[in-house]
This record gives sequence, C-alpha cells and structure tokens, in this order.
Amino acid sequence: MSDSSQRVVIIPCSGIGKTYGAVSREAAYAITEDSRPDNTQLVALSLLVLGDAEARAAVVNHRVVTIDGCKLACATKMVKESGGTVAQDFAVLDAYRRYRNFKPQGIAELNEGGQKLAHALAEEVAAVVDALTSGDEGGDNA
Amino acid sequence: MPEFLETTVGKFIFRVAIDRHYDGEGMWAQAEGSRVRIGLSDFLQQRSGDVAFAEIKPVGTVLAVGDEVALIETVKVNISLTSPVKGTVVEVNPAIDISPETINQDPYGAGWLAVIEVTGGQVECERLFDARAYFELMKEQAEQGTKNR
Repeated sequence: MSDSSQRVVIIPCSGIGKTYGAVSREAAYAITEDSRPDNTQLVALSLLVLGDAEARAAVVNHRVVTIDGCKLACATKMVKESGGTVAQDFAVLDAYRRYRNFKPQGIAELNEGGQKLAHALAEEVAAVVDALTSGDEGGDNA
Repeated sequence: MPEFLETTVGKFIFRVAIDRHYDGEGMWAQAEGSRVRIGLSDFLQQRSGDVAFAEIKPVGTVLAVGDEVALIETVKVNISLTSPVKGTVVEVNPAIDISPETINQDPYGAGWLAVIEVTGGQVECERLFDARAYFELMKEQAEQGTKNR
C-alpha cells in the first residue's frame, strides 16, 4: 500500500522500565518496521500526551490499533481523548494469557520469552491491520 | 457491600474491608458458619500486580495454617499464597480460572479464592488480625514499600 492516508496507526504503551511496556513496543516495532511497514505508521504515545498536533492529526485521520502494556490502558485512553477512534485494542497481559509459554522478563532487553511474546502479539496485530486495510473491519482477539 | 478503612500512600489508595480478619501476609478470612471464605487484601493484590494466572488447590485439599492454598502469577512475580486457617478446601472460585483479573478488580467480593471447612468446625480467628489491626500493619508495609522504591 503506498497511500499513506490508508495506513493504520499503531500506538504502543510508553511505560519505561516496565516489562510489559517493552513487549508492547517490541511488538509495535515488529509490525511497523518489519512485517507491515507499508501499511502502518508508528505514533509515540508520549507525543499524544504532549498534545503534538501531528500525532493528534494522525489518530484523528487514520484507523488506530493500540497495544497497551497494562490495565491502565493509557494508549487507548489517549487516543480517545485526542479525538480518535480505536479500531482494535490489544493488551500485553491478555496476550500473555494466550501464550503462557512465553514469559516476558527484562526491561531494557527482553528475554527470549518476551521476544517471542512480542512477535506472537505482532502477528495478531498484523492480522487486524490486514483486515482493516483490505476493507474487513478486523477481529476481536484482544 | 462491606465497609472499608482506607488510606492513601503515594499515588495508591488501599482499602481494608472491616467485616473480616487478615493474616500478616494480606490474606483475608471471613467466617461463614463452620466455613471460612478466603482471598487477597486490596493491598496484597495491588502490591502483587495484575494477575495473569491463578492456580488454587482443588476441593478436598487438606490445609494447615501456612500451607500453600494458591499460586498466582502476576506481571511482576509468582506468589505462593498461604492459608490463614486450618481445614479442607470445599469450594474453589470458578471465575478465577476464566478471569484471574477478578482478583484485582474485586478482591473482597467476586475475587475470592476458596472456601475452607475449618477443622473441628470451630472457626478461630484469634490468631488473625482484625481489620483495624491489619489496617495499621498494612499502612506500615505500604509506607515501607514506598521508601524502598
């Protein structure tokens, strides 16, 4: 997809020093940089929190998928507060419940379990991105 | 709906239900005739973090005070929860297996863990803290935890 207006905005958790936040960001990088770089756009949650005009415009004008690290669901809440609509929200804790063998540990550098969990989550998000960009409104697997 | 004692430590609010007893680890016990319903205090569940998985000992398990009654895995740690009373597990909360987050969402209500038939049929809570005493202990633990961060 080359039309940037059709891209899906991916917003991960911004929790620094939190394992689940790190999994969230790793999953977001895997989608936006590796698996679906042409169909997605990464927006930093911190920019939304700061009220950055470009970040706000991105969530208002694009379909958004959030990847929250914990139940506080900051990414999902900030998108809504910024005037955007969340097409699908994912939570790392829920993903871990689906992939119990991938226990995440580490902060600056995730362990193997964390990396595997991030990539499993990234595949689920990628499936939603594919559905959104193909006209199907996506699943409800989060 | 129980009434609560409440305190704020840092950015956290902790509540202690006044209608039950507690052990020093933060497990609550509520007498129901010859049985005791048990669960985690609000402080214990908040300190432990979001529960990802919980494995509760099955019905029929005989427990002494201090025996492991459940193992919970949270985003932070794995915790062995010990029984505050002596007896036999006669009921396990079926909701926890499907929705372990219930422990975090409603620790004094829907998030209960198990019901224990007390050995001898006599519920003895003397060795446990009443709500006021546990509230003071919990505040100390919470404030100490804040200092250690």
